Amino acid sequence: MSVSNLLENWSQVRHEHPVNDKPHDPYKWAMAIDLDACTGCNACSVACYAENNLPVVGKEKFQHGQQMHWMRVERYWDEDGREFPDQGFQFLPMMCQQCEAAPCETVCPVAATNHTADGLNSQIYNRCIGSRYCSANCPFKVRYFNWYDYPTTENVWPAEMTQQLNPDVSVRGKGVMEKCTFCVQRLSAAKVTAKGEGRIVREGEVQTACQQACPTSAISFGNIVNPESRVHKQWAAQQVELDKDKQAKNEKEEGPGLRGYRILEELRAYPSVMYLERVRESAV
Amino acid sequence: MIDSDSVKQLAGHPFDRRDFLKVLGWSGTAVALSGCGNTSIEDGRETVVSYVEASDYMVPGIGVYYNSTCAQCDAGCNINGRVREGRVLKLEGNPDSGINKGKLCGLGQAGVQHHYNPDRVREPLLRNGSKGEAITWDKAYALIAEKLAGVQGDEIAFLSGGMSGHLKVLLGNYLDSLGTRNHFVYEAIAPSVVRAANVKAYGVEMPRYRLDKAKVVLSFGADFLGAWVSPVHFSQQYAQFRKGVDGQRGVLIQVESKMTLTGANADRWLVVKPGTEGVLALGIINVLGTATGDVAELVKGYDPVRVSRETGVSVSHIEKVAALLRMRSPSLVLAGSAAEGYAHGSQNAAAINLLNQVLGNVGKTIEAPVSVPFPQMAPAKGNTAALKSLNDGLAAGKYKVVFNFAANPVFTAPGAMKFKDNFAKAGFKVAFAHYLDETALQADLVLPLDSALEDWGTQVPEYMTEGAQINIQQPLMERLHANTRGMGDIVLALLKQRKADEYKGFEDYYAYLRGAMLQNKGALGGGGVDDDTFWNETLTRGIVKLAGATGALTTHATAAGLVFPAHKEADEHYPLHLIPGVTASLRDGRHTNQPWLQESPDPLTTIVWDSWVEIHPKKATELGIVEGDIVEVTSRTGSVKAQVYLFPGIHPEAVSIPVGRGHDAMGRYAKGYGVNPFQIMDTVFEAATGELAMHETRVKISKTGQRVLVVKDEGAAGALQMGRKIASRVSTDQIDLSKEV
Repeated sequence: MSVSNLLENWSQVRHEHPVNDKPHDPYKWAMAIDLDACTGCNACSVACYAENNLPVVGKEKFQHGQQMHWMRVERYWDEDGREFPDQGFQFLPMMCQQCEAAPCETVCPVAATNHTADGLNSQIYNRCIGSRYCSANCPFKVRYFNWYDYPTTENVWPAEMTQQLNPDVSVRGKGVMEKCTFCVQRLSAAKVTAKGEGRIVREGEVQTACQQACPTSAISFGNIVNPESRVHKQWAAQQVELDKDKQAKNEKEEGPGLRGYRILEELRAYPSVMYLERVRESAV
Repeated sequence: MIDSDSVKQLAGHPFDRRDFLKVLGWSGTAVALSGCGNTSIEDGRETVVSYVEASDYMVPGIGVYYNSTCAQCDAGCNINGRVREGRVLKLEGNPDSGINKGKLCGLGQAGVQHHYNPDRVREPLLRNGSKGEAITWDKAYALIAEKLAGVQGDEIAFLSGGMSGHLKVLLGNYLDSLGTRNHFVYEAIAPSVVRAANVKAYGVEMPRYRLDKAKVVLSFGADFLGAWVSPVHFSQQYAQFRKGVDGQRGVLIQVESKMTLTGANADRWLVVKPGTEGVLALGIINVLGTATGDVAELVKGYDPVRVSRETGVSVSHIEKVAALLRMRSPSLVLAGSAAEGYAHGSQNAAAINLLNQVLGNVGKTIEAPVSVPFPQMAPAKGNTAALKSLNDGLAAGKYKVVFNFAANPVFTAPGAMKFKDNFAKAGFKVAFAHYLDETALQADLVLPLDSALEDWGTQVPEYMTEGAQINIQQPLMERLHANTRGMGDIVLALLKQRKADEYKGFEDYYAYLRGAMLQNKGALGGGGVDDDTFWNETLTRGIVKLAGATGALTTHATAAGLVFPAHKEADEHYPLHLIPGVTASLRDGRHTNQPWLQESPDPLTTIVWDSWVEIHPKKATELGIVEGDIVEVTSRTGSVKAQVYLFPGIHPEAVSIPVGRGHDAMGRYAKGYGVNPFQIMDTVFEAATGELAMHETRVKISKTGQRVLVVKDEGAAGALQMGRKIASRVSTDQIDLSKEV
């Protein structure tokens, strides 16, 4: 492939990576998060701690930026210098965006992070050597490194608390990178059940922990290949296409009139998470 | 991972499953032996449980789900616990619940950390000097009997948090048997002034609010998305409200002096001078111009110019809000904890409720509540007025025996009450406790309780939704510690000391509960079903849904008795208002020892593991304070030192410190983190109800010269988007929401 051809068809090339024969068949997991429904309450984040055996690192390590929250709620406020935030704050649940052309994957020296056939950006813990290149290359800063051996760190999981650990999720040791998996253990279980019954996973059959907890149902998750799935319908209605780095709707002069967008889309990572803009009333 | 082709290959292979397991088993043992010497099983420290004899909930590798009730706050969300190999792993919402419909907040999720908390009390402890000595339950019960002997009923006091269901009934019977009427019900954070104002306005304490039917919600400091009444339920209604009625998205306007989580989600957040919420409500009624009779007479004086001067809200905003309310009906106006926390809190709440009446919302977005047809099981409620009355008795040395359950007054009582000193005057103090909290540490006898995931019970939520319901609490796993007991079992055992004959038929609280439920089977929807089937179905569902009784609401608007106190001049020695921040995850601090909650960033400031003082940036500049400065916040009652966080969502004449942290007990995850603003609260009481006016404490702040790095999650991404489209916002006139999925 010539360089000019490569550049001309960059989107196509990146999209084919790494699923090249039948991309996303029968699954491609994707998400949509409605920021107008999100209240910033943090239920998703705590649910993630419970489901995925995330260590509580304590005050000192948190200060060092070593917190392990796969799902965090970012808070932003207006920057126009007004005296009071009279239109409230902006909340943004942020976790691994499961990019289709993930910048983290290409830099891993040992292929510990790679793409699965169902469109997940997976992390293979026992292959990871802790170079942390992936974290450096992640535009969303959603990869978390085990600076310590948390299972043996005091007060992280004292005796009784180990009993709460989810046996479906491995507890990570020191020197390993980790991040949101879209609750892959739940997806695997659902896929196995479906396969045993000779079908594919149905819409609504599997939920991520954050989606299940969310009090306002701001998070929808599902198989975007399935035209019946809510997430497919939402992406379609918002005219956000997975394999585009510039959405056609944004080219219109009068503005799209739609609120679906992906964060830092121009970086061509092709995230699998679409956000719906927060709405604020203009009449008051 | 093994793909399907490999599975097919394996299936035809002579290497059968049994051999496969054998090999795996042996190699596993070999690793264990070579790696770690003897295993704990081999040297007898652990026993092997045979799965052949295991209970039905022990299916290796398979999770089973049990319904129960969340005990983290009193909203009564129904939960569904995942149990594997006999251990509870995770809590989800029960999808059949009318309250939380399958959802659960962070506080609820952390319930497993209450259960597995390493700092739980495990043995009955008897005070010996400054230490607790482990004793047996028999000895503990005998001791209580001994201390109660010859004591008059009015020399006994029982302090508890809010309680309902069969436990409340049983406890009532016990107190009757002791001949005491001194049951003090105390929840440090409760909407008690609003309840009283609601009775006057609507005829009920808590009507059913329908955010989902409202086109505009105007909330005066009601943090219904955070910590107010039934937040998970309201969050679901809120989602519906945002999607809109007839395609029109609901508009939220929040009026308060310190931004709450709900305020942070408002379309318009209006900052008011602390305590002037009611004045603003009257100003809006004035602008609406639709009031008649004595209401019109009352609001005549509240013209927008005067109201703007008193509240600090601009005339144009008052007019815009009134115009929106006029245009979009029905609306819903809420009075929350920020409005009720003043000496004239009842007046504030009454004025706000009046606005609802004038707008004609009663009957549309404010509905009559449903009540459970067993009034004796209805929740017992109470607030600081009850604590004050106990405290007065304690101060007078009136009580010889005091019991404490599900409350931590040594931590939550306002400092000026000197509760700890007065508590010491009681003769014999018994605390039923999960942890050694501040109050349990002052007790003479501490009785360790089962966790909410080990215990039996019923709960009647105060705030009912679609219909009436009784929540079932059942053990999700066996006791973690051999010597803890359920509160019901303890009360039953104590009752047997007094009335052995009446209660001898009940072996334990479970038997009592089952018997009591079966006795009312017909009324509980089990008519014509045999006992075992009814009981099993009830436990399976975790909820008993009932066709409760619905009353009618008062719709007549009256201004009778509504007089606002004259505008108070600023206090020159203590110029700032102290607003205690109530957060969704920590509330009154009873769950601060759950590490997920400590590490869950405060949604507004993103601070973890510590307390902070919120100061408006303008005020901070005036005082020469920057983020991380340790300041001393001093009231007439006392002072605390904490780090400063510059926060634009607060009135410049107020500072805010969140409650819930600042424990000097309660174990490794709570002790020593942050400060406790309850300690510096003055005892100013609400005039009509006698409840603590939580927002009336005035303070001054001074720099200490120390500075720390604030530990917060704002870090990497910061609070700023630097012009990039990260968390994006769009205004309604640029968007068509009607075609959305």
